[in-house]
Amino acid sequence: MNLRKYLIRALHRLQKGPGYTYKELLVWYCDNTNTHGPKRIIKEGPKKKLIWFFLTLLFASLVFWQWGILINTYLSYNVTSSLSIGFKTMKFPAVTVCNANPFKYSEVKHLLKELDRLIEAALERILQPTPGNSSEKVSPPLNLELWHQIPLVLIDEHDKDNPVILDIFESNQTSAINQTFADNATADEEKKYKLAVKLCSHQGSDNCTYRNFTSAAQAVTEWYILQSTSILSKVPLQEKIRMGYQAEDMILACLYGAEPCNYKNFTQIYHPDHGNCYIFNWGMDEEALNSSNPGAEFGLKLILDISQQDYIPYLSSAAGARLMLHQQKSFPFLKDQGIYAMAGTETSIGVLVDELERMGYPYSDCTINGSDVPVKNLYSQYNTSYSIQACLRSCFQNHMMETCGCGHYMFPLPAGISYCNNEANPGWAYCYSSLRSSIKHRQICIDSCKETCNDTQYKMTISMADWPSEASEDWIFHILSYERDMSTNVTLDRNGIIKLNIYFQEYNYRTISESAATTIVWLLSSLGGQFGFWMGGSVLCLIEFGEIIIDSLWITVINLISWCKGLKQRRAQARYPDIPPTVSELVEAHTNLGFQHEDLGALPREEGLPPEPGTPPPNYDSLRVQPPHVLGPDSDAE
Amino acid sequence: RRIVVSRGRLRRFIWILLTLSAVGLILWQCAELLMNYYSASVSVTVQFQKLPFPAVTICNINPYKYSSMKDYLSELDKETKKALETFYGFSEGKSKVRRSVDEWNSTGSDFFKQIPLLKFEDFSRTVTDLRSGQKRKIEGSVFHKDSSIVNSGDSNDIIGFQLCDANNSSECALYTFSSGVNAIQEWYKLHYMNIMAQIPLETKEKLSYSADDLILTCFFDGLSCDKRHFTRFHHPLHGNCYTFNSGENGTVLSTSTGGSEYGLQVVLYIDEADYNPFLVTSTGAKIIVHDQNEYPFIEDIGTEIETAAATSIGMHFTRSRKLSKPYSDCTETGADIPVENLYNKSYSLQICLHSCFQKAMVDSCGCAQYAQPLPAGAEYCNYKKNPNWMYCYYRLHEKFVKEQLGCQQICKDACSFKEWALTTSIAQWPSTASEDWMLRVLSWDKGQKLNKKLNKTDLANLMVFYKDLNERFISENPANTLVILLSNFGGQLGLWMSCSVVCVIEIVEVFFIDSLSIVMRRQWQKAKKWWSNRKVERSGKAPRAGDPERRGHDNPVCIDEDLPTFNTALRLPLPQDSPLPRTPPPNYSTLRLETAFTEQLPDTLEPGQH
Repeated sequence: MNLRKYLIRALHRLQKGPGYTYKELLVWYCDNTNTHGPKRIIKEGPKKKLIWFFLTLLFASLVFWQWGILINTYLSYNVTSSLSIGFKTMKFPAVTVCNANPFKYSEVKHLLKELDRLIEAALERILQPTPGNSSEKVSPPLNLELWHQIPLVLIDEHDKDNPVILDIFESNQTSAINQTFADNATADEEKKYKLAVKLCSHQGSDNCTYRNFTSAAQAVTEWYILQSTSILSKVPLQEKIRMGYQAEDMILACLYGAEPCNYKNFTQIYHPDHGNCYIFNWGMDEEALNSSNPGAEFGLKLILDISQQDYIPYLSSAAGARLMLHQQKSFPFLKDQGIYAMAGTETSIGVLVDELERMGYPYSDCTINGSDVPVKNLYSQYNTSYSIQACLRSCFQNHMMETCGCGHYMFPLPAGISYCNNEANPGWAYCYSSLRSSIKHRQICIDSCKETCNDTQYKMTISMADWPSEASEDWIFHILSYERDMSTNVTLDRNGIIKLNIYFQEYNYRTISESAATTIVWLLSSLGGQFGFWMGGSVLCLIEFGEIIIDSLWITVINLISWCKGLKQRRAQARYPDIPPTVSELVEAHTNLGFQHEDLGALPREEGLPPEPGTPPPNYDSLRVQPPHVLGPDSDAE
Repeated sequence: RRIVVSRGRLRRFIWILLTLSAVGLILWQCAELLMNYYSASVSVTVQFQKLPFPAVTICNINPYKYSSMKDYLSELDKETKKALETFYGFSEGKSKVRRSVDEWNSTGSDFFKQIPLLKFEDFSRTVTDLRSGQKRKIEGSVFHKDSSIVNSGDSNDIIGFQLCDANNSSECALYTFSSGVNAIQEWYKLHYMNIMAQIPLETKEKLSYSADDLILTCFFDGLSCDKRHFTRFHHPLHGNCYTFNSGENGTVLSTSTGGSEYGLQVVLYIDEADYNPFLVTSTGAKIIVHDQNEYPFIEDIGTEIETAAATSIGMHFTRSRKLSKPYSDCTETGADIPVENLYNKSYSLQICLHSCFQKAMVDSCGCAQYAQPLPAGAEYCNYKKNPNWMYCYYRLHEKFVKEQLGCQQICKDACSFKEWALTTSIAQWPSTASEDWMLRVLSWDKGQKLNKKLNKTDLANLMVFYKDLNERFISENPANTLVILLSNFGGQLGLWMSCSVVCVIEIVEVFFIDSLSIVMRRQWQKAKKWWSNRKVERSGKAPRAGDPERRGHDNPVCIDEDLPTFNTALRLPLPQDSPLPRTPPPNYSTLRLETAFTEQLPDTLEPGQH
């Protein structure tokens, strides 16, 4: 019954609204719409009509074209950036200080003794290729097993086409080669020898590559690093921490603002490159320190001792402290972002904080906490937050694990995997160096890692001065030595002592934050503006248009049905020419009535034959017959 | 419509006022929108990607090997030494100087005579000539008082030199310096440039350092590199410089990993013993990080590298792009700037300024300055050919600094530029523990050519690397496009007047076309009247008094003599266009409905009534 009512209403609306043909409907629409323009098409004279028709068409197409542009703009998710510069209470950055040298040489000497003797002997041979020098006689037989795992070779390039490869220690046994070696070196004034590292996939196998170096210094350093990582990877972590520099030895004095601090305020972390590193204000346990005042007086002042005498000679050639400023709870990647501080100087670092806040997906491809990055973050075992460096390194370590079967010493270990060493993984150096130079693997890592959305950079202005001055040198060394070692002997010197000042610069921060350039509100108002500008339309006009489409659909359906009926009837009439009018005929008559009221003759019959339920004609058509009962009062009410 | 519809004068007046103010508002806001049309918004994007490694140009601070320059510079050095001795009583080994003094009298060059170092005694304009030792009075304008280069001290002995116009000797400029160090260096440089300008480029390249001399070891992205990766580039003041990754052979190296291991690591050999003692007083190297297409202005923006130290330079890459005209006054390629680009590189502001100065130099002095490239058809100034150039140069340079040459006005910023922000830190290198083997191995690397053992003050270690692979791209975007402008217009029109372009066209139609037709009709009638008048006049001067009245009655518009305001604008089309009385509901459908029902109603209602 409800449905019936509704349908009746619908019919009513249809009858009240447009006419029953498309033309009438269109004319009605044009006259009644709130969109400017169409009305003109009807109201004006024939010439103007044409002009208005084209104008309306033109404007409509303009509107649609520009809507397309606007929607496209919206879907490109542009952002606008705003820059704010100011001065407020800021979190002081975490400060990581390390020694450039990872371990005290006096502590690791027993591990590296063999290696050092090997390299010394090798250098003797390379540099002074005259047989029978003194050091060889004194030294006990060398442990050549270590050498043969990753040998250094000399490549003789006198003959460009077929270079001769000379193993440094084997040349000792065959003196003939050694002799030619010496002769050539003296005869040819030009340097023709190159040092290379021989890397084999398995010991004794032929699958070997030679890593060429133009400089012997580099070759020696690379070789030493490869060998020493293999040795050190077998040492347990506790032992490595013990071998490194202790906080009380390294951090001699500390002052934050006006408050004294000491080595206990630093958090210890073991960094594979630099041994024990100490982080001030990391924010892991307690709240990060704030600094509201710019200027050197309110910053962090440190005095460090790097004890340069105790450096491992072949491992790191640069001497100084390595330091880095970073955000709280992030891992310090010193090789990337760290800076050096030279011994015997006072280094002042003015910090300017540069923050970048970005919108996440879909505006830019960044990640908020790294949870959506397909690389397992190995640095999470340090309890640190995600960073792009952590992702890249984790990615590399994962590749290393997959291809070489062991983890590289410089990166944290995934569970259940051990570090590479020469005994357990004889081919690791070969595997590692091929992986390291592989562009493909790097690209995979770059593609899978995303940068973080909130990025804080610490821009540093570094300046240096000699410290301590000659006049103050004596007493400063004396006091610092006394405090550290409780003895009156001076144990410090110019080569080990570093003073650091880290402070905020005048302008504390600079924040670049992004906001969406196009919001849905923007889109709607622009769409509305366009529509309004060209045609004076609004959403209601669109609804009107939609209504017209529905109406024309109605008309189509009605026409279709009437046409069907007509067809049926004609067929029926053809079959049974004398048959009396059936229900369908009646209905057809009614349908016709709506359109052409000249067919009045059918009306009385309708009264006599009320429509049977379950008769085939479509609902509204049959309903069309009914309205009078309900419509009478309805129309009156209106 | 409200104006017409509403009754009462007050209301109508209020509506007119509102309408007018709305129109005013629209016009104002639209003007505002138009004014802001050419504004730009800045966007910053950070992209993590594989980055092209910049070109790194490395120069020794000392341009030429002093030992090989001896032939050219011996006279100048002798002169300088003598000056030092006479003015400051400084001498390195008495006998040596005495010998040189003896030699001095025999060999003498012209231009030393012309531009000698002078010692002033107070401001009395009495000077002591270095050469003769005689005191004489200086005539001509003393330049130091208003000159920007010169800062005269208050000590009694001021040292300086005098530059005179060769054609007109009374026109002299006197340059004085507060410190003898500056005076002697400046004076030395002046003569040095004179000498160097006469030496052809090939010879100069030979006199300077070779790639083998300068670069001991090279390591990039975990792999060894050698001198083939460096391109020589001859700088007039810095001698041979070497550019790593200059992109000359078409390939630009890129890094896909940040960090110091993957950047460029170079050990430089700086032969301190072979330095020119007067020309340069500091030791080390100069480097500059720049784009492959950029010219390295090493004297302007170079970073100095210390010896016996490892300098680590962390880079952060920023790319900026400005919008060119009409948003801002910058140039994309430099093609629209009337200064010829003398450098074979892409446009930059600095290139433009230098080229502009060089052009002015050639125009006014007749020869080109030594430190900048040669324009076509010009040659470098030297004393033999252009005895006047130094005076000319100093005058011109002063003008340039005071922005009187107009170079600063002509030259524009480049629209896009790349910038590498550098964080430089220094560590001691080699460390005391590694010093021994490092020097030995490096000496071996250097080969047998070098007889002596290397000293650590001869070496400098340089590391250039990307701190992170984030590229920061700052770009300006047009804040408004045409589409947005139009939709803002539409929004304004719709908000205040609910009007659209159609409205505007209607107004145009009413105001222009219709009133034009009215005017035309009037004109036509006037013409007709005039014609008929003439006819009448011709026929025999029979004036018809009723004519003007009748005309007024004919014209329906003339009846309501309203001003052409919105009022009329809205009212006018109604009587003209639709003669039928306007009934808001559409004609047919309502009629249709009524007929449908009237025909149906009696039939259907009748049974109900019955």
